[in-house]
Amino acid sequence: MKNVQKWILVFLLGVLSFICLTPSIKAEDRARDLQSLINEAQAGATIILAQGIYEGPVIIDKPLQLEARSGEEVTITNNSDKPAIQINADDVALTRITIRDEQIKKQPTVLIQADGVLLDQLQIHTGSFGIKMRKANHGEVRNSSIVWAGVVSNRPLKLSDKGNGMDLYESNGNTFYGNTVIAMHDGIYMENSDNNLVEENHFERLRYGVHCMYTKGTIIRNNIGRLNITGAMVMAARKVELSNNQFTKQSENVNSQGILLFDAHEIMIFDNHVEGNRVGLYVEQSTHNRITNNSIVGNFIGLQLLDAENNTMSGNQFIGNVASATSRNSANNTLDGNYWDTFQGIDLDGDGKSEISYAINPFFQSLVKAKPGFQLFFQSPGMVFLEGLYQSQREQWAVDASPLMKPTENVRFVISKHTLQHSATIGGLLLCLSIYLIYLGVRRK
Amino acid sequence: MIQTAHIAIREVKLGFRNPWAYSFMGLFALFMLCLLLINAQGYVQGYSGITGTTLNLILYLLPLMSLLLGSFSLTAEKEDGSWELLSVYPVSTWSFIIGKYVGLAIVLLVIVSTGFGTAGVLGFAAGSGFGLLTYLQLLAFSSSVALFFLAIALLIGTLAKNRWQALTIAVAIWFFAIIGWPPLLIAVLGFMPYPMIKPMVTLLTFLNPAELSRLFTVVKLGGGAILGPEYYEWIKWIRQAGGSFSFAAVALLWIGSVMAAAQFVWERRRLRG
Repeated sequence: MKNVQKWILVFLLGVLSFICLTPSIKAEDRARDLQSLINEAQAGATIILAQGIYEGPVIIDKPLQLEARSGEEVTITNNSDKPAIQINADDVALTRITIRDEQIKKQPTVLIQADGVLLDQLQIHTGSFGIKMRKANHGEVRNSSIVWAGVVSNRPLKLSDKGNGMDLYESNGNTFYGNTVIAMHDGIYMENSDNNLVEENHFERLRYGVHCMYTKGTIIRNNIGRLNITGAMVMAARKVELSNNQFTKQSENVNSQGILLFDAHEIMIFDNHVEGNRVGLYVEQSTHNRITNNSIVGNFIGLQLLDAENNTMSGNQFIGNVASATSRNSANNTLDGNYWDTFQGIDLDGDGKSEISYAINPFFQSLVKAKPGFQLFFQSPGMVFLEGLYQSQREQWAVDASPLMKPTENVRFVISKHTLQHSATIGGLLLCLSIYLIYLGVRRK
Repeated sequence: MIQTAHIAIREVKLGFRNPWAYSFMGLFALFMLCLLLINAQGYVQGYSGITGTTLNLILYLLPLMSLLLGSFSLTAEKEDGSWELLSVYPVSTWSFIIGKYVGLAIVLLVIVSTGFGTAGVLGFAAGSGFGLLTYLQLLAFSSSVALFFLAIALLIGTLAKNRWQALTIAVAIWFFAIIGWPPLLIAVLGFMPYPMIKPMVTLLTFLNPAELSRLFTVVKLGGGAILGPEYYEWIKWIRQAGGSFSFAAVALLWIGSVMAAAQFVWERRRLRG
C-alpha cells in the first residue's frame, strides 16, 4: 500500500513538473532561428516574418528582402558580441523590424558591407553603433529610429561609451531620409564618404548631429537638431550643401555651436535657422564658403569668424544674440547686406542698406585667445565699454560693407514660447506691494 | 531688537519722503520699459541679447542708486545732527547700522519691485516681456545687486564726513566695480604669470559683488557655456540648487563683513566723539 502511495506521489510530481516546465521550452522555441530561415531562402526572395522575437546574430549574404508582416511586431534580439545583423550581399532590404541589441560592445548593431541596401522603418535600440556602413554605396536608410539603450552598471556612462547612430566609411551616394537619432554619440558620421544625402532627419541629445570628415558633395537639408553639443560639424570637407536646417539649443556645452565649419571649403550654407545656441555659426580656418539668407537668432554669440578667408556672407539675419559677432584674423571676407540688430546704420540713398559699415570688433576674441581666463568678462559692462574704446588697426577687422537697415522678413522664432501672463501676475503683485509699502511709509500716524 | 525695528521704520518713512527715492524709482521703471519696447522678439527666455542688455543696464543703474541713497542717508545723520541726538540714548551701534540697512533695503527693494512690476504689467499689455523664470532670475539679480551695494554704501556713509565726500567715493567705487573692472584686471593681471590669471580672476570676482551677481545670473539663465572651459566646474556647480544656496551664503557673508566694518568704524568714532 505504501509503495502504491509512493508511486502515485512520484507520478503526480512528474505531471506537475511537466506542466510547469513545458512553457519555458515553448518560450525558447519562440525565439526562432532566423539564420536558418535566411540560409534556406533563395537569392532574391522575400521573407515575410510573422510576429515574434527572433534571435540574432544574423548574417545575410545573398540578396533578400526581410520584412515584418504588416501590422505585426517583429523583434530581433542579440546578446552576442557580433553585429545583430550583418549584411554582406548587395540589394538587401529590411523593413519594419525592431532590433534590440543593448549590450555594450565594439561591433555595431547593423553592419552593412554591400551596395544598394535599403533599411526602412527600423527601430534600433543599441548599446553600440546603430548602423555601420563600410564601403557600402547607394544604399538608403529611411524612416528609422536609432536610440541609445546601453547600460553601464558600475560607473557613470561616458559619451565615449556610445557609438554613432549611423557611421559611414568609404561609403558613397547613400540617402538618409526621415530618421530620428537620439542620445547616441554622433547622429551621422561620414568619413571619406562622398555625395551622401542627409534629409529631414531629427537629431537630439547627441555629440554632433551631422558630422562630416573628409567628405565631398554631401547634402544636408531640412534636418532638425536640438540639444546636441553641435548641430552640424563640417570638418575637412568640400562642396557640402547645408540648407534649410534648424539647429536649436546647442548651448549646454562649452564647445557648443549650431553649425561649425573647420577647414571646410566651398560649402554652401543657406536658409538655415540657428537659434539659442552657444555660438550660432562658427567658422574657423575655412575658405571660399557662401553663407546666405540664414537666420541666426538668440544665440550667445551669433557669428564667430576665426582665421577665415575669402568667404561670402550676405542676406543673413543676426537678431537677439548676446553678441552679434566676434572675429579674429578674418579681414579678407566679403560680408555684405546682412542684418545686425545691434548695429545702427544710416541709409542716405534709400536702398535699404546702410552707408556706414559694420565692423566686427576683434578685441575680446584676441584677448581670450591669449588669456582664456578673461572669458569671464564676456559682455560685462566694462568689457563692452573697453571694446568701444578699442579702435586700432580697423582695416584688419572683418567688416560688413553695407549692412541691411531692416530684417528682410519676419523672423520666426522656433523655441517654444510660454505665456507672459505669469510674469505679469507677479509684476502686478509686486506693484501692489510696493504701493502699499509706500503708502505705509508716507502716511502720518 | 526693538531699537533696530524702530530705526528701520524711521528709515523707511524718511526714505519714502525723500524725492530722490522717487526720481530713482521713475528712472528705473522707465529703463525697464524701454528695454521691453526695443525688444522686437515679444517673449524673452534665458540668456539672449535682451537679457544681456538688461543685465548691463541694471548694473549701470542700480549700484549707483544704492550707493547714493545709502551713503547719503548716513551722512545726513551726521550733517543734520540727528545722530548726535540718537547717540545720547542707549542705542547700540549695531542696532543703528542694521536698522539703517533694513530700512534702506526695503526702500530699494520697493524701487526695484516698482520697476519690475511696471515692466511685467505693461509688458503683458504690450505683448512683450520676460518669461516667468527669466523674470524671477532678473528680479533676484537686481535685488542682490541692490543689497550688496547698500552694504558698501553704509561703509561709505560711515567713512565720509559729508554728502560731497560720500558722492565722490560712491562714484569712484561704482566706476571701478562696473566699468573699470575688466580694464583694471586685464592691466594688472597682464603682469602675472599665465597660470596665475585664472585663479586670480576667480578670487577677485568674489571681491566685486557686481561681477559675482552678474556671473551667477548668467549661469542660472543657462548661459554658463559662454564663460568657457576654464570655468566649467564652477558653472556645473552653480547650476545645481546648491549653487543658489552657496551664492546666498556668500552674499550674506559679504554683506555681513562690510557691515561689520561699518559698525567698527562708526563705533570707534562714537567712542572718540
